[in-house]
Amino acid sequence: MRDQVSVYTNKLIADRSAHAQGIAIAAQDDVLIAGGAPDLARLAGDVLSRLTCLGMVVACPSLPFADFLVARAPAGESCIVPRDTETRTFLHDIPFLRRSDLGADPAPVIARLLGSRKGVVVEGVGIVASGALTVEQAYINYSSVFHSTFVKYLQDVLHHGFILPGEAEAFAAFRSQWLRPLTDEGLAFRSGPLAERDEILDEIATVGRYTVERGLVDSFFGNISCRAGEVIYISQTAASLDSLAGCIDPVPTDNSSTFGITASSELLAHRRIYEATGAATILHGHPKFAVIMSMECAEEGCAITDCWKECDRVRFLGDTPVVAGEIGAGGLARRVPPAIAGPRKAVVYGHGVFTVGETDFADAFRALVSVENWCRGEYFRRLEERLG
Amino acid sequence: MFGWTGTILNIDLSSRAAWREDLSVELLHAYLGGRGLGVRLMRGFHALDPFDPVMPLIFAVGPLCGTSAPTAARLTVVSRSPLTGTIYDCSAGGRFAWRLKGLGVDALRLSGRSETPVTLVVTAGGVEFVDVPELWGQTVPETVAALSGRGSVAAIGPAGENGVLFANIMMGEGNSVGRGGLGAVMGAKGLKAVVVNGDIPVAVADRERFDRARQDVMRLFRASPVIFGELGIAEYGTPALVDLMRQRRMAPTENFRHTVFEGSANYSGPAIRSAYQAKKDGCYGCPIQCKKSTPRGEHLPEYETVSHFGALNGIASLDVIVKSNTLCNELGMDTISAAATLSAWGEVRGRFPGGEEVQRLLVDTALRRGDGELLSLGSRRAARALGRPELSMEVKGLELPAYDPRGAYGMALAYCTSNRGGCHLRAYPISHEILRKPVATDRFSFSGKARIIAIAEDTNAAIDSLVACKFSFFGATLEEYAELLSAATGTEYTPQSLKEIGRRICLTERFYNCANGFDVKDDCLPARFFAEPGSSGEGVDIPPIDRGRFDEELQKYYRIRGLTPAGTFADPDFLLTQP
Ligand code: SF4
Ligand SMILES: [Zn+2]
Ligand SMILES: [Zn+2]
Repeated sequence: MRDQVSVYTNKLIADRSAHAQGIAIAAQDDVLIAGGAPDLARLAGDVLSRLTCLGMVVACPSLPFADFLVARAPAGESCIVPRDTETRTFLHDIPFLRRSDLGADPAPVIARLLGSRKGVVVEGVGIVASGALTVEQAYINYSSVFHSTFVKYLQDVLHHGFILPGEAEAFAAFRSQWLRPLTDEGLAFRSGPLAERDEILDEIATVGRYTVERGLVDSFFGNISCRAGEVIYISQTAASLDSLAGCIDPVPTDNSSTFGITASSELLAHRRIYEATGAATILHGHPKFAVIMSMECAEEGCAITDCWKECDRVRFLGDTPVVAGEIGAGGLARRVPPAIAGPRKAVVYGHGVFTVGETDFADAFRALVSVENWCRGEYFRRLEERLG
Repeated sequence: MFGWTGTILNIDLSSRAAWREDLSVELLHAYLGGRGLGVRLMRGFHALDPFDPVMPLIFAVGPLCGTSAPTAARLTVVSRSPLTGTIYDCSAGGRFAWRLKGLGVDALRLSGRSETPVTLVVTAGGVEFVDVPELWGQTVPETVAALSGRGSVAAIGPAGENGVLFANIMMGEGNSVGRGGLGAVMGAKGLKAVVVNGDIPVAVADRERFDRARQDVMRLFRASPVIFGELGIAEYGTPALVDLMRQRRMAPTENFRHTVFEGSANYSGPAIRSAYQAKKDGCYGCPIQCKKSTPRGEHLPEYETVSHFGALNGIASLDVIVKSNTLCNELGMDTISAAATLSAWGEVRGRFPGGEEVQRLLVDTALRRGDGELLSLGSRRAARALGRPELSMEVKGLELPAYDPRGAYGMALAYCTSNRGGCHLRAYPISHEILRKPVATDRFSFSGKARIIAIAEDTNAAIDSLVACKFSFFGATLEEYAELLSAATGTEYTPQSLKEIGRRICLTERFYNCANGFDVKDDCLPARFFAEPGSSGEGVDIPPIDRGRFDEELQKYYRIRGLTPAGTFADPDFLLTQP
C-alpha cells in the first residue's frame, strides 16, 4: 500500500495535473494510511474512513480552473456538468462544495458527496476523488475530473469570456507557462512494416508512453493498435498508455478466439478502421483541445439534441473530419471508419482523435500532434476574436 | 408505495393456508428486497435443519423488479442449504419474478410440508393448492409444459423430489436457482411447482429521472467490451471466458490437478456458436441476452458448465457437454456441483467418467440409485465416504466453479469468505483480476485483496437485493443503480448507502453461519491449492498458493469485518443491533 502512495504521487507530478506540494493519497487495508501534504493527508484519511472504498486522492490541481468553475456557477447550483464524453459516460456530473459549505470539519460533507460520485471539487482545497477498489482508480478519477473541468472551463471562457477578478491573468499564465509546445521531435519510431510479435509489442508500449510523455493524452485515456497479417495487437481495456507492457492483446481478425474480451472497448472501431483504410497502425487519445473544438458546432437550427450520439453530419476542424458516436457499441465504430479513410485522421464529438499510420506509428503520431496543434491554435484564435 | 408493494404472501403447506402481511417500510428500506429481505426474514429460523418442515423457503423480488431497469427482472430464493449448512440465496432471472411482483407482493414465504405432491398456483383470484400426483417424477420441461397455461412456473425435477443435495429450482424459461440445493428443500416440502400470474404494474416515483438513469446504464453497457464488445458475453455468452481462462492458465482440469486443458478450444464461445448455430437468448427483459440456445430452443451451457463437464472431467466432446447440461436442466440439478462431484469421484477411483457414462451417472444421481446414491450427496460427502476427503474440491461443501484459485488470489480468498461456500459470485474478483473491470488488479498478489473482497461482497449483496444481474456491473456501477433505485422508490439511495446495506446483509449471513458452528476452520481452500502447482507455461507461472500470505490476508479480512481472529462475532447480540 505504501508504495502505491508514492507511485501515484509521482504520476500526478509527472502528468502535471497537480501541484507537487499539494498532493495527498490515502488507502485503507485493515489499517488506514495516508501520505503527502500533511493537511490534505489528514483530510484524505478522514474522508476515506467514512467510505466503503480503498483509495483516495486529494490534490490541488495545477490549474485553477475547477475553482473558477465553482466561483462562476450561479448561486444555488451544486454541480458542474462538463459535456465531454468522459463525464457524460463515467462521471455524469461533478458535484462541488463552496468554501462557505465546508464548516469547521469538511470531512463529513465531502464524504457525503463522494458517497454518490467518483470525484468532487472542493473550493479552495482541490479535487477529491475516491477509488472503490484501488488507489489507481482514485488516480484515474482524479484525472477524469481534471480533464473534464479543463475542457469545461475552456469552453466556458470561449463562450462567456472572463468574469472573475484574476481569471484573465491566470489564463494568460496557463497559456504561456503550463501549456507546452506539442511536437514529435526527437522521438524515435521503428520503421515499418512491423511484423515480429515482440517488436510490435515493444513498439506499442513505447509509442503509448510517448503519447503520455508528450502531453497528448492523460495516461489512462486512449488506445493503440497495430495490425500484422491476421492479428490486431491492441491495448487492453482500462490500461494506462504509459505502461502497456503485458497489457496488449493479440486478437485474431477472424474472431476465432475470444480471449481478446479484455481488449479495448474500441476494438470494433479499430477493426473497421483497418478494413476501411488498409492502414497498419491506429492511435486514439483524448487530447484536450481537440475534445473542446469538436463540440464547437456552428450549425444553426439543428434539430438534433443528443449531438454525441445522433449527429449524422461530417463537420471539419481544418482538414480533419468530426463525427459523432458513442464509445464501444455506441456508434463510433460505425461513423469513424468512412470518415477517416481519406484524411487518415478523424475527431469524435466530445471524445477524442483517431489517426492511422500506413506502415508504422511515425505518421500516426505526427498526425495526432498536428490535429491537436491545429485545434489549440484555432481555440486561441477564436478566443482572441471573442475577447477582441 | 413506489417500487415496493409492502406486502408478503405467506403460505403454510402443512395446513394449506395462505395469508398476506404488511412488510414494514423500515425493513424494506434497510434490506431492499431479494437477498437482503430474504436473509432478514430468515432470522430466528437460521438454525433449523434445512429439511425441517418449519424451515422457510423464501422467494423475494426487489424494488426494481417490474420496472424497466436493465437486468432487474430477477428474484432471489433464500433458505438454508442442505449441501453446505450455510444460509443460502440464489438469484434467477425470468418472467416468474415479474409475475410474482405483479401479484402485489415483495416476497413469497413458504413453510410447512404437504404430505402429498402439491403445486401452488397464485393468481389475482387467490391461492390454490393443486394436488399433482401425476407430475411427481416428471422432468422439469414436462412439468412446465403441464402448468404453463396457468402462469409462470418455478419447478423442481426428480433431483429435488429425491433430495439430491445440489438439486435446483428451475424457472419455466430455463433459468435456474442453482448451486446450494434449494430444490431439495422445496422437494422436502412436497412442493413440485409454484405458478404465479400477477400483472399489477409497479409504480415509479420519478419517471423522468428513472429514464435518464436507464440511459446512463445503457451507455455504459455499450462502452463495456465484456458486455457488448464483439467478443463479449452478448455475442458469445459466458463461454467467451473459455479462451481467456485457457490463456491465463487457470481453467480447472481433471479435478484441479492441472489448469490447462488442451481440448478446451472444442467448447470455446466461437466453437459453440458454429457447432450449434447458437442464437441470442437470455433472461426476460434483459437487454444483454447473454444466454445462448440452439435454433430449436435448447439452452446451451454457460462457461462454468462447459468447463466443468469439459476440462474438469477431461472431456473434449462438445456434444457430450451439451447433452450433460440439458440432462441436468431436465432433472433439475446444478451443473457445477454435478460435474465437480463426478470429477472428484473420478479421481478417487482413478478414472474420470466419459461420454455416455456421464449421462448414465447423472440420471442415477437424480434418481439416487447405484453410484448415484453417493454422488447425490455432493463431492465432500462422497469423497469422505470413499476415504479420500482431500480430493473434494470445495469450500464449506460447495464445489468450486471454473476459476482456479491459483490463477487469481483474490478469487482464492473470496471462495473462503463467501457466506454460501465456494462460490465465485459473492465478491466476483474475476471482474477485476481477469476482466479488468472496473479496474485491473494484480491477480498474483494478495495486496489489498482483503479490503477489495469485503467491499465487493458488500456491493454485490446490494446488487442481489435490488435484484439486478451481476453482469450489469461489467459496465454500470452502483452510481447508476442508486439513481434507478431512488427514482423508482422516491427514497434517496447512494452507492455508499447501498454498500452499507450490503455490509449489513453480509454480516447477518455470517452471523447465522457462526451460530451454526462455522468459523475460521471452514474459511479454507482444499490443501491441494497450497501444495501443488497449476500448469505453468507460455511465460506464465502458476505456483501453489502461499499459505502464510493467504492466512495473513484472511485475518485482515476478519479485522475489516470487525470479527475475532476465529472469524466469529465478539458480540453475541449483533443481530439485535440491526433493524
Ligand atoms: S446478463 Fe445474462 S444472466 Fe444477466 S440478466 Fe441478462 S441474460 Fe440474464
Ligand atoms: Zn476514447
Ligand atoms: Zn478524455
